[in-house]
Amino acid sequence: MPRLRHAALLLVLTLAGCGLVDHGGNRGSSQQGRDIFDLWQGSVIAALVVGFLVWGLIFWAAIRYRRRGDEIPTQRQYIFSLEIVYTALPVLIVAVLFVFAYQTQRDVQEVSSNPDLVVEVDGFQWQWQFHYVEEDITVTGLPDEPPVMVLPVDQTIRFVLRSDDVIHSFYVPDFLYKRDVIPGVDNQIDVDVVDTGRYTGRCAEFCGLDHSKMTFEVDAVTMADFRNWVDEQQSAGEAASSDGGGS
Amino acid sequence: MTVTTERKAATPSGGPPPASSGLLRWITTTDHKMIGLSYIFTSLAFFAIGGVLALVIRTELADPGEIIDAETYNQFFTMHGSIMIYLFAVPFGFGLANYIVPLQIGAPDMAFPRLNALGYWMYLFGGTVMVAGFLTAGGSASFGWFAYAPLSGATYSPGIGPDLWIIGVVVTSTAGILTAVNLVTTIVMLRAPGMTMFRMPIFTWNMLVVSVMVLLAFPVLTSALAMLFADRRLDAHIFDVSEDGTPVLWQHLFWFFGHPEVYIIALPFFGVITEIIPVFSRRPVFAYKGLIMATLAIGGLSVGVWAHHMFATGVVLLPFFSALSLLIAVPTGVKFFNWIGTMWRGQITYSSAMLFTIGSIVVFLLGGLTGVLQALAPVDFSVTDTYFVVAHMHYVIFGTAGFAGFAAVYYWFPKFTGKLLDERLGIAHFVLLFIGVNMTFLVQHELGLRGMPRRVNDYGAGAGFTTLNVISTIGSYIIAVAVLIFAINLLLSLRKGKPAGNDPWGGQTLEWWTTSPPPEHNFDSLPPIRSERPVWDAHHPEAIAFGHASDSGNGQRGNGQRKPVEDAP
Repeated sequence: MPRLRHAALLLVLTLAGCGLVDHGGNRGSSQQGRDIFDLWQGSVIAALVVGFLVWGLIFWAAIRYRRRGDEIPTQRQYIFSLEIVYTALPVLIVAVLFVFAYQTQRDVQEVSSNPDLVVEVDGFQWQWQFHYVEEDITVTGLPDEPPVMVLPVDQTIRFVLRSDDVIHSFYVPDFLYKRDVIPGVDNQIDVDVVDTGRYTGRCAEFCGLDHSKMTFEVDAVTMADFRNWVDEQQSAGEAASSDGGGS
Repeated sequence: MTVTTERKAATPSGGPPPASSGLLRWITTTDHKMIGLSYIFTSLAFFAIGGVLALVIRTELADPGEIIDAETYNQFFTMHGSIMIYLFAVPFGFGLANYIVPLQIGAPDMAFPRLNALGYWMYLFGGTVMVAGFLTAGGSASFGWFAYAPLSGATYSPGIGPDLWIIGVVVTSTAGILTAVNLVTTIVMLRAPGMTMFRMPIFTWNMLVVSVMVLLAFPVLTSALAMLFADRRLDAHIFDVSEDGTPVLWQHLFWFFGHPEVYIIALPFFGVITEIIPVFSRRPVFAYKGLIMATLAIGGLSVGVWAHHMFATGVVLLPFFSALSLLIAVPTGVKFFNWIGTMWRGQITYSSAMLFTIGSIVVFLLGGLTGVLQALAPVDFSVTDTYFVVAHMHYVIFGTAGFAGFAAVYYWFPKFTGKLLDERLGIAHFVLLFIGVNMTFLVQHELGLRGMPRRVNDYGAGAGFTTLNVISTIGSYIIAVAVLIFAINLLLSLRKGKPAGNDPWGGQTLEWWTTSPPPEHNFDSLPPIRSERPVWDAHHPEAIAFGHASDSGNGQRGNGQRKPVEDAP
C-alpha cells in the first residue's frame, strides 16, 4: 500500500511538474513575465497541494466507507470545531495568496516616468501597426506578412495601446502579459525584455472574422543591434519619403 | 401515470376539460411536473445542438482550415457558448427545480402555475429565435457569447442574426426572471406545515438563493441587451466611442450578470450533489447549517466579483475584485468538506447517480482551483483569453451542469417515470464521459499556458499546438459517444426500464414519500416533518423515539444510532 501510494504520488508530481507548475515551459522572457512566473509557480503549487489533499480525502472516503453491511452508520451531523478549521484555513490561504499577488501586480503594472523607448501599438481589424515615437519609425503588417517589432533588451519599453475599431488585446505569450487595446481607453504598459530571441505575438481578444490571423513577431535584440536597425530604418525611410512613399 | 390514464379514459366524451390527451396535454399543462420535464427535455435538446457545434469546432481545430471557414467557425463557437450557457445549463437547473422543489417542500404545485407555463414557452420561443439566426442570409451572431461592444454593434456585426441573438437572450432571460419569482414565492409561501426554513432540503435552499441571484443579475442583462439593440437599430451610441459612448460599460453590465451567472449555473447542481451524497452514504448532510451559510455567502459575494473578467482591460480596481474573487473560493471550498464529511463513516453504495456525483466533485475541484489562480490579477494577465480559461470554465460547467446534471437525471428519473435507468449503460456512460472530459480539457490548460488564444479557428502549423489539439479533439469524440449512450439509456429505460417503486434509493426528502410518478396534486399524505429529512425519520422511527430528529437546533443527531435496522424500501 505505501509503495503504491508513493508511486502514485511520484506520477502525479511528474505530471504536475511537466505542465502546470512550469507554466507550459514558458518562464517569461521579460522582467514582468518573470515576476508573474514566480507568482504563478508559488500559487499553482499551493493550489495543487490543496487539490491533492481534497482529492485524496474524496477518494479515501469513497473507498474506505463503501457499504459493508446493513448497519446504520453514525448520524452525527455537526462537529463545530472542524467547521471552524475548514473555514479559517482557506481564508488564511487566500489571504497569503492575495498579499503575494498584490505585490506582484504592483511591480508588473508600474509605469516608469522615463521609459527608454516608446512604441505606439495600433490594433485594427485584423492587423497591427507599431510606431516608434522618438525614432519616427512605423512598421505595419501586411496580409500573410505579420509585422516585426524590433525591441532592445534590458530597456524599459513603454507600449501605448490604441484601437479605433473594436477591442483587441496585445499579447506576447513569452512575456506572460497582455493588455486589452480598447477604443477610447488610454492603456499603457511597460515591458523590460530580458532575453534576446524571436517571439510570436497574438491578438487575445476576439475581434471578428480574421482574429486568428492577427499575429505579429517580436525580435528582441541587443541595444547595439537595435541602434543599427533604427539607423537602417531611418535611412530607408528618408529614401522612401523622398520617393513620395511613407509608412 | 394513474392520473393520466384516468383522465384519458374520460376524454372521448369531449367535455369542457378535454386537454388530456398526448401532445395537447403537454402544450396546455400548468402542472409543475410536466413543465419541469418539458424544461429538462428542451434543455437536453439544446445541449445536443450545442454539442454538435462543439464537435465541428473541435474537428476544425484538429486540422485547421479543412472543414469550415473562419466566419462559420465564429458563428459556431458563438452559438455553442450561447446555447450551452443560456439555453442548456440554466434552464436545465430550472427544469429540475420546477419538478423537484414543490415536491421537496410538500407543495401541490408552484405558486403561479400559469406564470410557470408562460416562462417555459418564452424560453422555448427565445431559444428558437436565437438558433434561427442560422437560417438568415448572414448567418447567426458571430461575436462570442458575451457580445463585447463595439464588435457586437451594427458596424462590425451587421445583419439580422445578431438581432435574433439579442432578442433570443432577452426573451429567455425574462423567462428566467419569471421562474425565479415563482420559485421564491413557492419556497417562501407554500411549504408544508413543519417545513421550516432550516428543514428545507439543500437543493431547495440552493434554488432559493439562485432565484434571488437571478432577480439581481438577469434584469441587468436584459437592460444591457436593450441598450445594445438600441445602439444597433436606433442609433443610440451608448457603447459607441466616436459619440462619447463607452465600450467598457458593456463589459461591466454584462459581467454584472455574467459572474453571478456562473453561480446561478453551479448552485442548483451543488444542490443536486448535496441531495445525492447523503442518500447513498445513508448519512445526514454534514454541517447542514454551515452549508447553507456557505451558499448564502456565495450568493452575496457573487455580485461583487464581476470585474475579474476585466483584469486585462486596465480600467478596473484590481485589489478589490481580486480579493472578493479569492474570498468566494472559501464558501465554495467549504462545500467540499461538507460533502466529504457526509461520506465520512457512511455506508456508501455506488449506483450511477453516486458515481456521477463523485465524478462531478472531482472534476469541479480542478475548475475551482484554476479559478482561484485566475483571481490573482497578474496570473490572469498571462492566462486570460487563452485556452487556459477555456479549460477552466469547461471543468466548472462539466463539473456542475455536466456530471452533476447527469447524476440528477439518474437520481430522479425513477421519480419522473416510475422506472429505473439501466445501471450498466449508466456506468459505461460515466466511464466514457470521465475519460472524455479529462482528455478534452486537461490538455487545454497546457495549450493556454503556451499561448494559444481562445476563439481562433487556426493557430498556425509551426506554433506547436497541433498534437495537444488532436488529443483534445479525440477526447471530445469520446464525450459524444458517452452522451449517445445516455440518450440510448433514456429511450430504452423509458420503454422497458425496471419498475422503481416510490423510493428506490432510500431517499430522505419528501419527493420520495409520494408515488413515482407523483399524482397531479403530488401528495395523498405527508409524514411528520421534524427535520430536514422527514422520509428518513419516518423509516427510522427509533431516531425520533430518542428525540434527536425533532431538534432543529445545532444539537448533534443520534451519535449512538448503530443498531442494525432494516432500511424501509
